[in-house]
Amino acid sequence: MAFMSSTPTNLPSFSSSSKTHFPINTFLSLKPQSRLLFVPVRATENGSGAAIVVDEKKDFETKEDPIGNGAPVAGVVEEVVVFEDPKWVSGTWDLKQFQKDGATDWDAVIDAEVKRRKWLEDNPESSNNDFPVVFDTSIIPWWAWMKRFHLPEAERLNGRAAMVGFFMAYFVDSLTGIGLVDQMGNFFCKTLLFVAVAGVLFIRKNEDIDTLKKLIDETTFYDKQWQATWQDEKK
Amino acid sequence: MAAITHPLHSLTLTFKTPNPRFTPLPKLTISATSSSNRHISGRKLTAAIIGGGPAGSSAAEALASGGIETYLFERSPSGAKPCGGAIPLCMLEEFSIPPDLIDRKVTHMKIISPSNLTVDFGKTLKPHEYISMLRREVLDSYLRSRAESKGVMLVKALVTNLDVPFQPNQPYIVNYTVNNRMEYLPVDVVVGADGANSRVAKAIGAGDYACAIAFQERIKLPDDKMEYYENLAEMYVGNDVSPDLYAWVFPKCDHVAVGTWTMCSKQYIKQYQHGVRSRVYPKIAGGKVIKVEAHPIPEHPRPVRVRGRVALVGDAAGYVAKCTGEGIYFAAKSGRMCGEAIVKASEGGHRMIDESDLKREYLKQWDLQYKTTFRFLDLLQHVFYGNNAAREALVELCGDEYVQRMTFESYLYKKLAKGNSWEDFKMVSNTIGSLIRCKLVGKQMEAFDPNVLAKVARLHKIS
Repeated sequence: MAFMSSTPTNLPSFSSSSKTHFPINTFLSLKPQSRLLFVPVRATENGSGAAIVVDEKKDFETKEDPIGNGAPVAGVVEEVVVFEDPKWVSGTWDLKQFQKDGATDWDAVIDAEVKRRKWLEDNPESSNNDFPVVFDTSIIPWWAWMKRFHLPEAERLNGRAAMVGFFMAYFVDSLTGIGLVDQMGNFFCKTLLFVAVAGVLFIRKNEDIDTLKKLIDETTFYDKQWQATWQDEKK
Repeated sequence: MAAITHPLHSLTLTFKTPNPRFTPLPKLTISATSSSNRHISGRKLTAAIIGGGPAGSSAAEALASGGIETYLFERSPSGAKPCGGAIPLCMLEEFSIPPDLIDRKVTHMKIISPSNLTVDFGKTLKPHEYISMLRREVLDSYLRSRAESKGVMLVKALVTNLDVPFQPNQPYIVNYTVNNRMEYLPVDVVVGADGANSRVAKAIGAGDYACAIAFQERIKLPDDKMEYYENLAEMYVGNDVSPDLYAWVFPKCDHVAVGTWTMCSKQYIKQYQHGVRSRVYPKIAGGKVIKVEAHPIPEHPRPVRVRGRVALVGDAAGYVAKCTGEGIYFAAKSGRMCGEAIVKASEGGHRMIDESDLKREYLKQWDLQYKTTFRFLDLLQHVFYGNNAAREALVELCGDEYVQRMTFESYLYKKLAKGNSWEDFKMVSNTIGSLIRCKLVGKQMEAFDPNVLAKVARLHKIS
């Protein structure tokens, strides 16, 4: 099956999830966080660093109020949680800690990164200049991704295609008497084959049909807006 | 009511007519010809530009240089528009902007993903390349005074209405208030450069467009923190700072502007601003908020951009690029193109023009030159700004030097950068690879068991 098999279904959800997916709980958690004391949880930074941060935060807070944020200045200093993990070292995953049987356990790295990103999505953290994040997904080799995600999906899709193909070939043969080899020479049968393959590739869940329709509308929408001024002429 | 009397203006009405609708002006020679535009005898073509920003001033300059009698209406010449204030290199050349207007030259950019992956976007900039940051009031007043020096008549007034004529050979009437007096001016051509809430657009029934709202706070930082932003701008992406666009920290003359913008969740803009502030917090702690501003930004062109002898330019027409939200250059360029189109069609002000002239010389040229740019940026916005996974992929890709070079060259020179096909192919396959990988991580995140995450939280909380 094509290597691109996972791409088409990925594209539709790019835009469909954006509009409705505003996590209200993120908003709620944002407000109290803004008044929390930012305690860097590192072994290297300690009390002195924290003290400075307190003053600055208070300074900032009092200026905020006239603008009308409506947030009362917190008298109590709470603590904010920062992502920390023994395997997350200076902005990247320490691959030496992911060894299994002498080789890096990439599945565990992927799982750890998923956990970290999920954590950050729910608890956004400010970027740190001292320990900038440098881990990106290209560090994990392509075959690790393929083995874990592409191959099971490809197996499923190939299975579907085989089942549909077998029964369609049998059905057409029983109706028309044309054998499998002769069917391949017929233009209509070749079209059916193309439709079947495309269907298996693009429509993997029931929702995909709607998603594809929306995608087509969206891609042509901007163009329609530019053309609108010329439609006037045609009227 | 009194009309402006100008020595060259032969059409003068000196008292208020009881009928608010104007009467046909006797001095206009109407020689109906089937195809060519009629020759105006005894006077030059008159044009009114509503709005004195970059679009209006550029249009006015082009018109006056071409010999058209031009009036530029601006209601508050000293106003400071809320704006990012960044202009590309090509604008400095094309519009001859003196270098002493530039407050800051941004040579580094940082893009930060939702998971705080930071890339340095600017490794490929040559020493003479930078993004210029200006104050809008400085730029606007310079462009206006230059237009004035070319012969444009500046009118400091608020335009209240534009009367569209019933018959095709009658002038447009610009109704305006100056010094608490209602006045009016009849003109042949109107250029609407009055921004997102354009009155000219309303008057001609140009239709509505969707707007994003941009919200920005100007923060004065202590000197050591300001040093970090000496010539660095930052861009933040993530659902916590903007669900469909981005948030920024731009350095200005002596402070930074921290802001965000969104199209689909306008009611939550304050929360997103909170989100940016938290994300930038250590770098702006100790700063003082000196100004808060917000402004609508059009998302796409208006359904009608030219009607009769009225053309819309700049924000009024909706010429704001998607993905980046860049508008100043396109406003100035469209103003100039429109002005030049009118000069050409009227042969230096000697002939009357009509709608088809405007469409042929201005709209068609503009669409031809910039539609692909706008379409491409729209595609980028769709692909990369949809959700956190796509944004992670975007930041990953921006780490690549070829991508950086192509992006900056296209932005700074507004021309499709010359790349080589092998690198292009590598870039495309990297794009697909990054998108696939980040999407997979995203899908895993969605399927993630929240109970496991809660256990993680308990483990790390400091009591």
